[in-house]
Amino acid sequence: MSEPKKLKKLSKRTDAAIEALKTQRLRWVMGISQVGVKIDEDRYHAVVDNITKDEIERQMIIGAIKEKGPMTIKELSEATDIPPDQILRHIIALRKAGTVSEAGEKERGYLYTVL
Amino acid sequence: MEEAVMEKTEFEPTIIAFCCNWCAYAGADLAGTSRFEYPTNVRIIRVMCTGRIDPTIILSAFRSGADGVLIAGCHPGDCHYVKGNYAMERRFNFLKDILKHLGIEPERLILEWVSAAEGGKFAALIRNVTKQIKDLGPNPLKRQ
Repeated sequence: MSEPKKLKKLSKRTDAAIEALKTQRLRWVMGISQVGVKIDEDRYHAVVDNITKDEIERQMIIGAIKEKGPMTIKELSEATDIPPDQILRHIIALRKAGTVSEAGEKERGYLYTVL
Repeated sequence: MEEAVMEKTEFEPTIIAFCCNWCAYAGADLAGTSRFEYPTNVRIIRVMCTGRIDPTIILSAFRSGADGVLIAGCHPGDCHYVKGNYAMERRFNFLKDILKHLGIEPERLILEWVSAAEGGKFAALIRNVTKQIKDLGPNPLKRQ
């Protein structure tokens, strides 16, 4: 990519990040309340719901692996009743955080274990 | 002669320093009255508390072409407003992540604690920060 193009892209991304920092969701995470801005109750509950649901599902995945040993995404989905695409999303997040990692393969899929 | 004219001028960074009114700004004042020398690359902005600095302002500084941003506040436990500096620390870690995502070196953002009695520390801090930013080179957003 040429230099001016790269620069334009970076400028756009920075502008987006500035806008993102103004969103209620990120401001809650950072612990900033906006004076005079009334919190939209529905949106607040939706965000809190999402975060709690994610955390609960992730703990379910970790619990299942701890209980039964390394598992594939398909097995985890069966053990926890969480759809496989969601399991994959959580596994990616947990892998990033260094909580789970691959431990061999089984039936053309990776086995995941808790570190 | 040509060489002398063409001599590469050294990169001089622009550093925005947010100093809290009660500690770091007083420290900067002390550095001045004590005649400690420090580079002129820093532009000090006084804020009442580091906890009052909105993260959007820090990103806007980078967007406007600041090569570095220094946040200087009270030592942990010494905040005039009890826990403003802890709030800043939390946002600081968050902002570093955002900078990493954007592709701007997170090292350009610096958080340091300076008390009102630490004029020497303030001068040394500015010297170190200026050197650090000089080594990093200009902000990639600066050329626009």
